[in-house]
Amino acid sequence: MDYPLIVDIFFLLLATLAVVSGWRVFCTDSMVRASFFLLVSFIAVGVIMILLTAEYLGVAMFFMMAVEMMVMAIFMVMFMMNPAGLNPMMMVHQHKFSIAAGVAIFVVLGGVALLSEFPDNPLPADLDPVASLGNELLGDSMLIFESAGIVLLTTMIGVVVLSSHRGRYGAAEEGSMPPGLEPGGDPAGMPEEGDEGGHHHCH
Amino acid sequence: MIVNELILPVILVTIVLVVGAYLVAVIDGMIAAALGTPQRGGAWLAPLTQGAWLLTQQANATEAPDWRAWRLAPALYLALAATGLAVVPFSPTLIPTDLVTSVVLWGSVEALATVVIFLHGWSANTLLALIGAYRYVALGLSYILISMFVLIGVALPAESLQFSQVVASQEGLWNVIRQPLGLPLFLIVGLGMTFWGPFNLADSRDLAGGTASTVSGPSRLVWELARAAMLVAFSGVAASAFLGGWLGPWLPGPLWVMLKMLGVLAVLLLLGRLLPRVQPERCVTLMWVVLLPLSFVDLIWAGVEALL
Repeated sequence: MDYPLIVDIFFLLLATLAVVSGWRVFCTDSMVRASFFLLVSFIAVGVIMILLTAEYLGVAMFFMMAVEMMVMAIFMVMFMMNPAGLNPMMMVHQHKFSIAAGVAIFVVLGGVALLSEFPDNPLPADLDPVASLGNELLGDSMLIFESAGIVLLTTMIGVVVLSSHRGRYGAAEEGSMPPGLEPGGDPAGMPEEGDEGGHHHCH
Repeated sequence: MIVNELILPVILVTIVLVVGAYLVAVIDGMIAAALGTPQRGGAWLAPLTQGAWLLTQQANATEAPDWRAWRLAPALYLALAATGLAVVPFSPTLIPTDLVTSVVLWGSVEALATVVIFLHGWSANTLLALIGAYRYVALGLSYILISMFVLIGVALPAESLQFSQVVASQEGLWNVIRQPLGLPLFLIVGLGMTFWGPFNLADSRDLAGGTASTVSGPSRLVWELARAAMLVAFSGVAASAFLGGWLGPWLPGPLWVMLKMLGVLAVLLLLGRLLPRVQPERCVTLMWVVLLPLSFVDLIWAGVEALL
């Protein structure tokens, strides 16, 4: 197939960027940085997909990974006791298992890349990548999948609307107060007044 | 081939972005002066003086920031604005990047802008900047969703995800009339993703400048420039998605696109000066309870209209 040399150069640059930023994910000491290094790696892969004329898949990779990594970073920071993810912390664990798994997967994927025979079909000149991808993925089941997609989306929005304002223990903007252990009792789990052990604080 | 496919688009995008960002500052100054806000210097000179002053200022340092991310974030936001402008068709033949999925690429510019704005506030390692960053992420998702539904509505009659096809599909009737809800909703997205005027919650006064509160000197200049440039890129997308892009009588296509972009910019800047800032909690409610359902209505409208 004929293509300009610049495509090869860009492929090599992007592949290097993808691998290096993927490797940095495991070297950095912050979860936010790790998420965004992973995002850089995925974006490089997305651009490679555009080079392969998978234009929809490549661009879809950008926005899906952008939102996904953003949400992942926020949630990881929320669940870990690490204010804002700026404190240095160890990001890797289970060293022996993960090294073994990494080597095994590398060997398998490398074997696939070297040993399998890739098709050599030139693209038809009038290929419409978006429409052909949609037909390839969904085909006759288009209506079913689209309906399922709308149902899922409605569910997601419903969940956000239900959970955004009213919390478990009252409206979000009023501050939450857990219910009492017996009906009408004092809020459970609250510290007693003056039980702070000489630690004074003013309200 | 290289001239037509590489050099010309880069020059075109750069010129439109730089001149456009300057015009944003000028128009904003003029609107402010007309509304009675005292302005130092003339509207034409003030942005240049301000820019030159920022260039000579010392760059602030905070305690243990993530330097690389902090310095990169404004440049990345500017790069996203350039990427967004690169998919705007200026005429049937003059299109910087005629990607078949350019509408989706604009969507990913909006999504990546969320990441970059978060990074800008997060990497400074200061309180108010971090609050601004979290605020933008909380709101950014709703901007992206509204924009996505409105743009799918635009792609439906064109039967394509390509902006040049979207413009061509408006030959008979512009989308601003065909889908009356689309442009108003999309303008709100534009104000949101550049955190301008009523939706300036990331860099707002109540956070002493938010994500930019500790940024000074050249990187502050790049950040302000990038915001204005993003507004320019947005106006280009709005002009091609709803106002018929290059379509119009008498004048050549590119001139029509520029005029429509200026019109969108003027409306956005006027709204930015006239409307008060929305409270963050109310803004979330407004987005999810009012505007998102309206964008569904817009999409259903577009679908029914495409079927008829």
